Amino acid sequence: MNALEIDKVTKNFGDFCAVKDLSFNIPKGSVYGLLGPNGAGKTTTIRMVMNIIIPDKGTINVLGRKMDEEMKKRVGYLPEDRGLYPKMKIGEMLLFFSELKGVKGAEARSRIDYWLGRFDLVDWKLKKAEELSKGMQQKVQFIATVIHQPELIILDEPFAGLDPVNTKLLKDFMLEMKDKGVTIIFSTHRMEQVEMICDNICLINKGEKVLEGNLNRIKKEYGKNTIVLDYEGEAKYIKDFAEIENIDDYGRFMEVKLKEGGDPQELLQVLTGKVRINKFEVKEPTLNAIFIDKVGEQNEKNSGGN
Amino acid sequence: MRKILAVIKREYLQTVKTKGFIIGTILGPVLMSLFLIVPILMSVVSVAEQEKIGVIDASGKIFAELDKKMEYKLKDGSRRYLLEEYRLTGDIPQLKEALNEKVLAKELSAYVFLPADISEGGEVEYVSEHVSDFDKTNNIRNALNSIIIGKRLKAEGLDPSKVGQLMRRVSLSTKKVSKRGVEEDTGGTFIISYFLVLVLYMTLIIYGQAVMRGVIEEKSSRVVEIVLSSIRPFQLMAGKIIGIGAVGLTQYTIWGLFGIGFTTYGGALIADAFPAAASFKIPSIPAYIFIYFVVFFILGYFLFSTLFAAIGSMVNTEKEAQQFMTPVIMMLVIPLLLILFIMRSPNSSLSVILSMIPFFTPTLMLLRVCILLPPFIQVGGSIVLMALTTLLMIWLTAKIYRVGLLMYGKRPRIREIIKWMRYK
Repeated sequence: MNALEIDKVTKNFGDFCAVKDLSFNIPKGSVYGLLGPNGAGKTTTIRMVMNIIIPDKGTINVLGRKMDEEMKKRVGYLPEDRGLYPKMKIGEMLLFFSELKGVKGAEARSRIDYWLGRFDLVDWKLKKAEELSKGMQQKVQFIATVIHQPELIILDEPFAGLDPVNTKLLKDFMLEMKDKGVTIIFSTHRMEQVEMICDNICLINKGEKVLEGNLNRIKKEYGKNTIVLDYEGEAKYIKDFAEIENIDDYGRFMEVKLKEGGDPQELLQVLTGKVRINKFEVKEPTLNAIFIDKVGEQNEKNSGGN
Repeated sequence: MRKILAVIKREYLQTVKTKGFIIGTILGPVLMSLFLIVPILMSVVSVAEQEKIGVIDASGKIFAELDKKMEYKLKDGSRRYLLEEYRLTGDIPQLKEALNEKVLAKELSAYVFLPADISEGGEVEYVSEHVSDFDKTNNIRNALNSIIIGKRLKAEGLDPSKVGQLMRRVSLSTKKVSKRGVEEDTGGTFIISYFLVLVLYMTLIIYGQAVMRGVIEEKSSRVVEIVLSSIRPFQLMAGKIIGIGAVGLTQYTIWGLFGIGFTTYGGALIADAFPAAASFKIPSIPAYIFIYFVVFFILGYFLFSTLFAAIGSMVNTEKEAQQFMTPVIMMLVIPLLLILFIMRSPNSSLSVILSMIPFFTPTLMLLRVCILLPPFIQVGGSIVLMALTTLLMIWLTAKIYRVGLLMYGKRPRIREIIKWMRYK
């Protein structure tokens, strides 16, 4: 069964098409990455899932039926633009968020105390939000997302603005939720996090789906034709090597994608003796490379078509 | 519905806890009673002191009589005005110059120059450092008038006291007839109507803006989307408006209780403390006017706060809101400018039409209710019209609000706002 089914969804804002004929399914219990460059339509898609904005066309099913006010009690949502009521005390605010999700009274209070304890915020319960550091406010926002024990959690750019400590905290938190069987959807344009956490991904660009599926399968489909090279010296002439499809050069580090049928050994021979090679590894492409490759390809196609 | 209740509860508790509410609730009655008490005290506790007034009597025949007429007494029994005659010795301008000096040196508080032809219409001059002591100038004017007119009458062979009797003015007492019977009204209605309309106007603006500020705070603190993950924008707007409106009614209740206490016991307290003011009567407000007041507050509040909520959703800061607010505030200010007109002719067809315009109804219809209860069809009609307009406004503004809440950055243009309303 799928936790989320998006079927042929389109959303226009005036003349601007934010999401175009988008379809994908998210299996229950998975960690799903919604990827795309800035302005790809990730937030619009998520807001449509949350019923905050209404699609022009298409249908969205959450946990087996249409999203409504009752269903919102079973979903936790951390928006990209997030904040707290500055003048409200942390305890009162979490109680308000719980009540909105239908958790009330003693039950809500005990859950609030539990989470404040886990996140080291007990002493701040009676403080106003504006007195908390940004990192502490982020923790309160995480608590607000899960206080009602949702079956599905939707996180829009959850890692944006987090320091390394909170990044780790959130990552562990997501894995803990996953172990409990909670389905997690999160959007990002930071690939390394996706590679670490996600089972499945959907890559969208300019409101359209570019790539979707199981992360391992996608990487395998791309084949073992990527070479990671750690080198010293001048390596520009490598571009002359005919079998290369794409190079991502960082100066001392290079990710090279070979054309289909290209032999890594030949590349190694070309390099030998000309640069100092510290590492030469043949591997699956990184998600980052796939991302740049796919998005670049689509942008080219679009501009060529015009 | 439970979710709206949670929002109402939050808005209510958070607003009631603010300093603005606490201060306003306490300060309102304090100011109100000060406005009532201070004038009474001022009239009782006289601050007058003995004053020296110089008199140049060019006719030479008036001073003695004037001195007698100006025999006003101070509290301690001494004369309030000490008149001092300056005889004409030589040049008039020179003498005036000398008296000017005396006034500036504060030896005299003022002087009057009585020309030789005073009986034939010559102008009397009053010279002082300031001429805003109307009490004093009135006393002098009255004294001179009665002296000169008396002289003229005598010159024609008439008896001044007889003429005074004959010339006695007709007195006009103003009474108000209503279903409750006939009662004297010497301007109490005017004051109460003005007062109630002003309070309504102020509270509509204060609570309307409180709604707007709440929306802007939710937007600028970026908390709004977290809230929208649980409820629909319309529920949030409804909860906020109802919650803050309940705060307004709470404030009215506190003010009202204070007012009842004040009108019931205040008069006696004042009379105890200042026996001289015992005759003062505190105007009381009939219950039906108070009920209409609350009805018009609730209706007006819903109408205007939905507009304020929409404005709040369109902007990012209160400063940006100014421009959008102007037309809304205008709709509240225009009726204030019409108050005197309506008071003069509460039942003219123009007054009726103006008070039926939904945006003007809260203030103007309340005013008409205060002055002279209009036919029920008009009051009821205006209420129905307002309710319909409010529903229309809620429908329109909810569309703006829904989109505006999630729009950050540039302030939208009117064209864009119209486009928002067409979004699905």
